[in-house]
Amino acid sequence: MALARNKMDAPPSSDASAPTVLQSRRSWSWYRFSEGITPYLLIAPLLILIAIFIYWPLIYSFYLSFFDWNFVRPDKTFVGWDNFTRLPNDPRFMRALHGTWIYFVALVPIQVFLPLGLAILLWPIRASRAQSAYRIMLFSPTVIAYSVAAVMWLWIFNPLQGILNKLLTGFGVERINWLSDRDTAIWAIIIVATWKTLGFHLLLYMAALEAVPNDYVEAASLDGASNWQIMRSIRFPLITPTFFFVLVTTVISVNDDVFGAINVLTNGGPFESTTNIIYYLYQQGFQYFQIGAASAVAVIVFLATALLTWLQFRFVERHVHYG
Amino acid sequence: MASRSETTPTGMDFGRAGSVSEQESSGAAMRSGLGKVVIHLVVIVLCFLTIFPFFWMVSTSFKQADEVFTKSIHLFPSSPTLKNFPNAFTYFPVANWMWNSFGIAVLTTLGKVLISVPAAFAFSRLKFRGDKLLFAMVLATMIVPGIVTVVPNYILVSRLGWLDSWVAVIIPSLPATAFYVFLLRQSILTLPQDLLDAGRIDGASTIKLLWQIVMPNVRPAIAVVVILSFLGAWNQYLWPLLVLNDFKAKTLATGMQFFTANTEAAQMWGPMMATATIAALPPLLLYALAQKQIISTFVTSGIKG
Repeated sequence: MALARNKMDAPPSSDASAPTVLQSRRSWSWYRFSEGITPYLLIAPLLILIAIFIYWPLIYSFYLSFFDWNFVRPDKTFVGWDNFTRLPNDPRFMRALHGTWIYFVALVPIQVFLPLGLAILLWPIRASRAQSAYRIMLFSPTVIAYSVAAVMWLWIFNPLQGILNKLLTGFGVERINWLSDRDTAIWAIIIVATWKTLGFHLLLYMAALEAVPNDYVEAASLDGASNWQIMRSIRFPLITPTFFFVLVTTVISVNDDVFGAINVLTNGGPFESTTNIIYYLYQQGFQYFQIGAASAVAVIVFLATALLTWLQFRFVERHVHYG
Repeated sequence: MASRSETTPTGMDFGRAGSVSEQESSGAAMRSGLGKVVIHLVVIVLCFLTIFPFFWMVSTSFKQADEVFTKSIHLFPSSPTLKNFPNAFTYFPVANWMWNSFGIAVLTTLGKVLISVPAAFAFSRLKFRGDKLLFAMVLATMIVPGIVTVVPNYILVSRLGWLDSWVAVIIPSLPATAFYVFLLRQSILTLPQDLLDAGRIDGASTIKLLWQIVMPNVRPAIAVVVILSFLGAWNQYLWPLLVLNDFKAKTLATGMQFFTANTEAAQMWGPMMATATIAALPPLLLYALAQKQIISTFVTSGIKG
């Protein structure tokens, strides 16, 4: 089929779905039938996998959350709402909740607004030759594994031999036990998370800024608008879809993302100061084999995520301008 | 526009010619020149902070064991050695981990492309009963955090006897493609309708249309999906951590853990950084090669509703 090459020259068809020439010997009705089920065949692999590995586990988590089970025992014991009502009495759960909150309030602004500010800062020098070098460097932490990033930082944070403390003691500052002090450990993880994710959102914002049509900017600048006014009243409103996308995905994934860093750097310690609800679920399920408790937490995480997403669509999305 | 450019008399090339936005600044050229220098300085400091952990990892991986523990800071190894790399391979089955990471990443990528491209085509260009609802169901998976499905999937995978095998990692991670389906769909939607009509006139079946017209024309978007899937699969952590318990079955991202469990062995930092370097290199190379492609797809496909 040579058509793919000179695609534009082909005459438009008045009836796209009915082929005028049938090359196969199959009957018309067979053709209609096979074409009718083709869409379903095309989406079937994806939908079957989604059903088995995303929707079914979701439903099964709800089911398991009402049972006491340790994964090994053949029978599950129905316990009603016990797995849920017990959670507030578990001090480890409450500390995990507190950690979740700290990660959330620290990292959502850092991951949503910092790269936006940076993208705006970089805008005036976008045409400079150094620009793509900057972009490559700033984006590089995004492409490596969280666990590898955490290992790199484990070495930097090392209390005795780590370069950070060597630098600090060089300036006469006392040595800090970054990862074993309950006041600093969570901030060490937040530093790693910031370092790790800054570049991706920066890239999205920069791409969005570049996609803003020039005619709007031209019109405004002819009207005497200043740089800042153009950024605020034209460019920013036009990149709000990207802003919204970044906001929603960050809110969903921020606590999920730090899991690797927590597991490598602190294992949730010291004194559970760096744990969060995701890490708590992991420990309940895979260290203590409390399948019911882990599932109850899974249900809570899912409902909280759904609620947060709904709230954002309800209250933030109305300010989004879809170009 | 012409009047604007006259107010920037430095004659410097402020960027791509003809772009009005370059002339947004009507202020004094001196001030804007100085402003740009300041911006460059700020960004350079930021780049330095970003790159330093990488530099430090690589530098440590080439250091002799005793130099790792000097009192003062040695930015570069004084007598560089390659010893840490073979050492890492003898302390731990790093070769197995590399092979597992590679195999899992390649097969996962292949699988994700095979299921997401046809689906994206169907959702963008075909009309069928329930298409909107089914597409919404695909997109809705994006708000299901991975952790929520982990316990039931672990039960399923262990019942199937898949633990410690590649399939255990690959198959359950395949359906996490909603974002790729979305990207590909955006890309397919930009194809001119005439192009598809022409194929129809020729009597091409839907499958042929997908294979011979759509796929060749959305190659850049497919390339991006390949790159992003590979990165995601190479870097995944939680799921392989759960289903790969055997020492040799681990991936690089999950195997690294053993070094941290053995930090009392003081001479480990060199081999550990060597392994981290090995684990970080493929994704960094891939990104360096394909960054233009990735960026342009984000620009053209747009993160829009």
